[in-house]
Amino acid sequence: MIGSEMRNKRKKWFSLNLKGSENQKTNACSCGRTPAGCQAGETPKRNDGFEQVFDVKMGRRSAFKKLTASLLTGAGLVNTTCSVTAGKGAKEKAQIGWDELFKGNYKLMTDAEKEATVKRLVRAYQLRTGKTIHMSAKNAESDVLFGYAFNISKCRGYMDCVAACVKENNQDRKSQMQYIRIHEMKDGKGFNFNEADDNYYHEVPAAGHFYMGTQCFHCDNPPCVKVCPVQATWQEPDGLVVIDYDWCIGCRYCMAACPYDGRRFNWSKPEVPEEAVNKNQHYLGNRLRKKGVMEKCTFCIQRSRAGKNPACVDACPTGARVFGNLLDPNSTIRWVLENKKVFRLKEDLGTEPKFWYYTD
Amino acid sequence: MSRLKVFVSLVKDSLDTTTKGSKKYHLWMAFLTLVMLIGMYCYTLQLKRGLSATGMTDRVSWGLYISNFTFLVGVAAAAVMLVMPTYILKDLDFKRAVLIGEGVAVAALIMCLAFVIADMGGPDVLWHMIPGIGVFNFPRSMLTWDVLVLNGYLFLNMSIPFYILFKHYQGKEPKAAFYVPGALISVFWAVGIHLVTAFLYQGLQSRPFWNNALLGPRFLASAFAAGPALIILVLALIRTHTAFKVADKTIRKLAMVVTVAAQINLIMLISELFKEFYAPTHHSESAYYLFFGLGHKGALLPWIWTSISLNVIATIALTFHKLRNNFKVLYLACFILFFAIWVEKGFGLIVPGFIPGPYGKIVEYTPTAIEIGVTLGIWALGAFVFVILCKTAIKIETGQLRFKG
Amino acid sequence: MKGKACYTLFFASLLLCACKRGRTKGEKYRTIIDKIQARSKNYHGVSISSDRYITGQTIAVTENSRTFSIPERKSQITSYACTACHTKPLKEMQGKGFKSAHWDIKLQHADSQTMRCTTCHDMTNPDRLKSLTGEPIDFNRSYRLCSQCHAKQFEDWVGGAHGKRGGGWAPPRVSMTCVNCHNPHKPRFESRWPARYNTQKVEESK
Repeated sequence: MIGSEMRNKRKKWFSLNLKGSENQKTNACSCGRTPAGCQAGETPKRNDGFEQVFDVKMGRRSAFKKLTASLLTGAGLVNTTCSVTAGKGAKEKAQIGWDELFKGNYKLMTDAEKEATVKRLVRAYQLRTGKTIHMSAKNAESDVLFGYAFNISKCRGYMDCVAACVKENNQDRKSQMQYIRIHEMKDGKGFNFNEADDNYYHEVPAAGHFYMGTQCFHCDNPPCVKVCPVQATWQEPDGLVVIDYDWCIGCRYCMAACPYDGRRFNWSKPEVPEEAVNKNQHYLGNRLRKKGVMEKCTFCIQRSRAGKNPACVDACPTGARVFGNLLDPNSTIRWVLENKKVFRLKEDLGTEPKFWYYTD
Repeated sequence: MSRLKVFVSLVKDSLDTTTKGSKKYHLWMAFLTLVMLIGMYCYTLQLKRGLSATGMTDRVSWGLYISNFTFLVGVAAAAVMLVMPTYILKDLDFKRAVLIGEGVAVAALIMCLAFVIADMGGPDVLWHMIPGIGVFNFPRSMLTWDVLVLNGYLFLNMSIPFYILFKHYQGKEPKAAFYVPGALISVFWAVGIHLVTAFLYQGLQSRPFWNNALLGPRFLASAFAAGPALIILVLALIRTHTAFKVADKTIRKLAMVVTVAAQINLIMLISELFKEFYAPTHHSESAYYLFFGLGHKGALLPWIWTSISLNVIATIALTFHKLRNNFKVLYLACFILFFAIWVEKGFGLIVPGFIPGPYGKIVEYTPTAIEIGVTLGIWALGAFVFVILCKTAIKIETGQLRFKG
Repeated sequence: MKGKACYTLFFASLLLCACKRGRTKGEKYRTIIDKIQARSKNYHGVSISSDRYITGQTIAVTENSRTFSIPERKSQITSYACTACHTKPLKEMQGKGFKSAHWDIKLQHADSQTMRCTTCHDMTNPDRLKSLTGEPIDFNRSYRLCSQCHAKQFEDWVGGAHGKRGGGWAPPRVSMTCVNCHNPHKPRFESRWPARYNTQKVEESK
């Protein structure tokens, strides 16, 4: 029975209906929208990754689906019977938990499905903490390609950017994760990272030194994206290299592939004090992560997709950081690229970073 | 229907066989179970705390698990050195040993998969990788290639011996037309699994230590030395402890394979060392770290130099016919060669790839007790699987176990 | 023999797959610069704006044929207009009987050979600034004063390589003007301690 249902729905993954029969109607599609809106969302039928890759229909797929669906339903039944006595909140939590556990890859979701998962995550946070967060699923704007430039002459090593980044992006306070590293280099030795210190603590700028910041460079030919076995990381149309934290399996292959030390792994459960959580979030950006997944700088997608500058750019007191739209011929970033002597790190690797360095 | 009956009977008989044995056998299996249980306990600790329970960090993000995985892929691939002569070259000398070789391959592959899963940050979402219901980034990601070839090889190495044993169990001769194509594929496949695993590392421009064209061939050479060396040791044990007789000739031929592979491996090592140290570039730093240490940091120094010396000693010993044909020397040489390659192709390869980091930061890696516990547990699992497989196979092959229908 | 053929076929199909994947990816550019140039040819502007992030009054300026806004300045100066106090010529006000003023300002900008108060401030009309040649400059456009010496920085600032943005990256562009970051009497940035120290990293690299 479930098998035939699955066939009719042609969904990309499975979700269980544990709420009971009152939702039968809307459950015809579990994307959380009204049936009409949902249909609209579903009409451009999109394939899952496997079909996308091969561009063919797999006969075995429906068989797989049937099998998995029945397995999951069995598990789901056990779950519902266990939580019969539990309160309404607990049941809802369980439902959200199941829907989240078996949702698909964000990259392949329709807009309606993206909204639905964001809604679930907001609700889950509300159930857990009683507080409301704002989470966006805003897609990339057309005619936008984000780029970044860093003025080596201007950076004075204050690390205000690092502090702002940690706060903005809800990074794990326990392991003191930081996306940005500021390297203190000796004058007269060139860009010698080997002898640079990225964790200095003295009055800055120190005499005879200069400073250079690194973070994820959002390469246009990103090696990390290529190696991910499940497409949990990809390049968005606006050039941002993002991660679906819920799809990542934690193999850390991307980390080995990144030549710029741009990626971070949650070796244990990340901890952010509730009062310090930045509640303005994006699904692909600073929403709270779990243990065992990758994360990295997203050029503050929650800010940049709304037209703001990343937190590091805003925090920099010396104006060493320039951010903007590479496709806009009048943008400041374009002026920097066209008029300053710019260079990028490890250009010979062919990764085409969208992060340039320049001097006055 | 009758086939099912035979199968049920086979399962029953093999259960019977594997649960009976001498006191020594029971003690050995109890010991393996204990180690597996300890490993499982360590793994639950790791699941609870996250991978911070291991010694890995953002700097060295792969450690003992992936090292063992890499090495064991080689061991699994080595079964080809028995399969090829037996099924394709029709060299009857190998016929008796081939099943053991395939058993080693199966055990090694199960260990490989276990190590990969132990290394995952999210083993609960592993289904994201299952083609069809998850998203499989094929053919772009080398890791997906590796998943395919490893599982395919596991399937080949389980189905061929199973078919042969199943026939023998019924007292029938297996049909060559049935298994020879499979065996043929498995020969290429074996080369494939190790080459693909090498490509996993070789394809990373961010890690110059791995990003060299010799890595794949070197993987193969070391695999064809270490794998058959292990099989020789296993055969030696089986010869002395069971009724299963393996001819001296088989072992001598295998020893020849080990010798040639070890010699090629050594030549490639020299070539690699020459490249790194004759004209050292910025990219030679990992090699400097591995062989000489950088600054005050040189945790791998004792390991790699032990490994290299043992490697050289074993290869020299194997090169002389007189020494090689002395089985005592042969076994010792095989053992030290196996250990040497385990160090060199294990953490001697993986860890220096991360040191120094992309920006020259040197952070060393030391595995934690939990990590070592899980590793030992997985090795015990491999040994356990192998013993069970072999016990049934040997009983069938020696004619002690037959279908009584 | 059959097996071999099978294997070859399998491998060939895999290769085909890989090729196909490469082709369907569509737009391929050799470098990011090629991509930027090709894709910005038909740039139509973006629908997002950073209007709502712009706080305070701004004034539009056009320099080197680039038009953008800078924060309005006069309302931000505590004791503007200057003529509220400066009712008499400076000479007369310097004597006894007047409250001393501006005692907290010590000019640390170039040396005394190059600069003193009146290099920029107009003695005859303290409500405005003056250029080196004596032309009047409005307080709202003080960057014109700075650009007389700092021509290189000025050029970079107009282009966008020097200085900070107000609002966001999205148009319209609001750029902080010189005096928003630099104290004109003491333009150098102070040295200070970093905002952050990572004790975990120290642990790690031991």
